[in-house]
Amino acid sequence: MGERRNGLHALVGAYVVDAVEDGERAEFERHLLTCEQCRDDVRGLRETTARLAAAAAITPRPELRRPTIQAAAVVRQLPPVVSGDRAPAMSRRVRWQAGRGFARTWLAGVAAGLVVVLVVVAVVLGLQAGSMQQRLAAQERRDDAMTAVLGAHDAVVMTAAVSTGGTATVVMSHQARGLVFTARGLARLPGVKAYELWLAGPAGVTSAGMVPPGRRDMSGPMIVGGLAGGEQLEMTVEPASGSRQPTSAPIVRIVLST
Amino acid sequence: MAGSPADGARRPGRDSPAGPDALQAALAAVARGDEAAFAAVYDRAAPAVLGTVRRILRDPAQSEEVMQEVLLEVWRTAARFDPAAGSAAAWITMLAHRRAVDRVRSEQRAAQRDARAAVADAEVGYDEVAEAVEASLERERVRRCLDGLTELQRESVTLAYYCGYSYREVAQLLGVAVGTVKTRMRDGLIRLRDCLGVD
Repeated sequence: MGERRNGLHALVGAYVVDAVEDGERAEFERHLLTCEQCRDDVRGLRETTARLAAAAAITPRPELRRPTIQAAAVVRQLPPVVSGDRAPAMSRRVRWQAGRGFARTWLAGVAAGLVVVLVVVAVVLGLQAGSMQQRLAAQERRDDAMTAVLGAHDAVVMTAAVSTGGTATVVMSHQARGLVFTARGLARLPGVKAYELWLAGPAGVTSAGMVPPGRRDMSGPMIVGGLAGGEQLEMTVEPASGSRQPTSAPIVRIVLST
Repeated sequence: MAGSPADGARRPGRDSPAGPDALQAALAAVARGDEAAFAAVYDRAAPAVLGTVRRILRDPAQSEEVMQEVLLEVWRTAARFDPAAGSAAAWITMLAHRRAVDRVRSEQRAAQRDARAAVADAEVGYDEVAEAVEASLERERVRRCLDGLTELQRESVTLAYYCGYSYREVAQLLGVAVGTVKTRMRDGLIRLRDCLGVD
């Protein structure tokens, strides 16, 4: 057991039910690295919370099953965390509870992937909303492009606050020479106005298209292809029919750096 | 106990792995990119994920969305699951709970929830567990074990787990010291664990 840090030990219950704040969570996880007893406690109490979850189980609507499973096909999986350079590829002793970088690696991966998953869910729900068959053919090309970006090895995620409210997110792949744009919580516009995206590069500013409204407070996703590299992505408010050149100041600007 | 072969055949889960083992096996296959196994993981894990998320978020549409996100997260990070550190069900429900709580907290920062409404919610939260009409065995057992806790332990655990409150919020709601809530959460969970026979 060794030295006791009672304050932290007491936190084990709150920790497993996610009732701690972010700072405390990080502190407790650092403590876990050196406290075997605590790891055992966490393990047992987590199994207990799994029982609480099972007791709350409700059957999802059957319509959700297929799209969710199909969506997996376009989400790239993370490789296992290997300790040292030369852990065997098939080794399943990937650590998520103990060892150096506990949770950090794992949670960092989760955070980075979150956006990709959100985009995929948006795509799935978007497909689901309309008459699937009719829209499928039209969307196939778009989805192929989107899959290429989201599944690319070099996909990077960038987010920026929109000055008029909301957050813009870009998943970009140089390899696929494209990006997927989504936004959340954009200010509602009067019907005669819409959001338009622009690519601003050395050759000038070109329209990248109108941002389609999404489900709930999501906008997009939309695919922007043919990136040359070094451009900036900008969004402005334009007449709903779109403009050839921006007629108002950008409300968000994302540098598509290399 | 030791039934005839015919008895055994009628019981699911004798020959084919069922329950926790099946979920774990399916998750291991998912880690290797097996899309069919992902369907099995979905079937076994989605109800607990949706149930947990729905208790915290309340909104049915939003809960379905988060359920899908969590399942895809499971697909994406399956290779990072370590069976030595806990069961597949515990890992998946942890992801679900954390995601739901994170979402509630980020929304909270924008608009603080009304404490009075929160108390009303909390009561519903426990009520739904305690008086669930669909009395599956598991539900029964959990309910019985929850009943075995002191009131403060039970409220601390259920407000945090089923309603997504932080221990500070729970202390505020119950009008007790923060340190007390921390220890009640721990003691309550330990008692639950022992009652449920978790090893």
